[in-house]
Amino acid sequence: MKRRSFMKSMMAASAVAAAPMALMAKEDAPKAKKKGPNDMTYDAAVAAITGGKEVKDSDKIKLTVPEIAENGAVVPVKVEVDHPMEENNYVKAIHILNTKNGNARCADVMLTPANGKGYFATRVKLGGTQEVVGLVELSDGTFIKAGKSIKVTIGGCG
Amino acid sequence: MAETEARKSMIKIKPKKYKAGDIVKVDFIVIHPMDTGMKKDKKTGEVKPAHYIDNITFSFDGKPFTTMKVWETVSTNPYFSVNFKVPGKGKITVDYTDNTGEKNSKSKKLKPKG
Repeated sequence: MKRRSFMKSMMAASAVAAAPMALMAKEDAPKAKKKGPNDMTYDAAVAAITGGKEVKDSDKIKLTVPEIAENGAVVPVKVEVDHPMEENNYVKAIHILNTKNGNARCADVMLTPANGKGYFATRVKLGGTQEVVGLVELSDGTFIKAGKSIKVTIGGCG
Repeated sequence: MAETEARKSMIKIKPKKYKAGDIVKVDFIVIHPMDTGMKKDKKTGEVKPAHYIDNITFSFDGKPFTTMKVWETVSTNPYFSVNFKVPGKGKITVDYTDNTGEKNSKSKKLKPKG
């Protein structure tokens, strides 16, 4: 008898526990549904760019972003890379990524030695408080990155 | 739907006075909505289709020196700035296309002094 009652109570408990879980899952689903045409997560975007290669954090990249962005629709981002721009040793590409927008990619910039300096500046939209990452590819095939978090008061990715 | 109307755009060289061999900033600004395809039109209530610039090529005398792939996460009326080492007299051209197939270009002459 003891065992039977124990089983019964267990089943009831698990049913109670499972019910809110199912409800929560249902509530989450419509939120995640809102998708843009080019949605990509940050990890997938990094993997697509690097092809699985290791990415090191580096002091060579100077990422200039505001600490607090009042308007998420216009956030200035500036990337400067302290690296020579010679014929065989130059900054090949600068990628600007974000960590939480629907589409993690902002801009991929392919540079050549004619640029003279590894520099790129633009303005991006940010949906909320998150990190902006400058991912830099050097001509020898190595990847370095630098990231900074930005507090966004009003999101700009409607 | 390729629109034929030319978009307003601008190329700025900074600083204004430069010599051959100097590294200058080339700023490119274009008036473009950069719609994400997620925002609703306030008047009609319908979702606006995505409309953004996706490819930009900076070239000097026909030789491209910087190419960019851009996504809708870049702000409305985008601004792009790159550096360029001035080799001498010539013309900088910026060609850009957007996801609807619209093609435009803008150019500016480089006149180094000294």
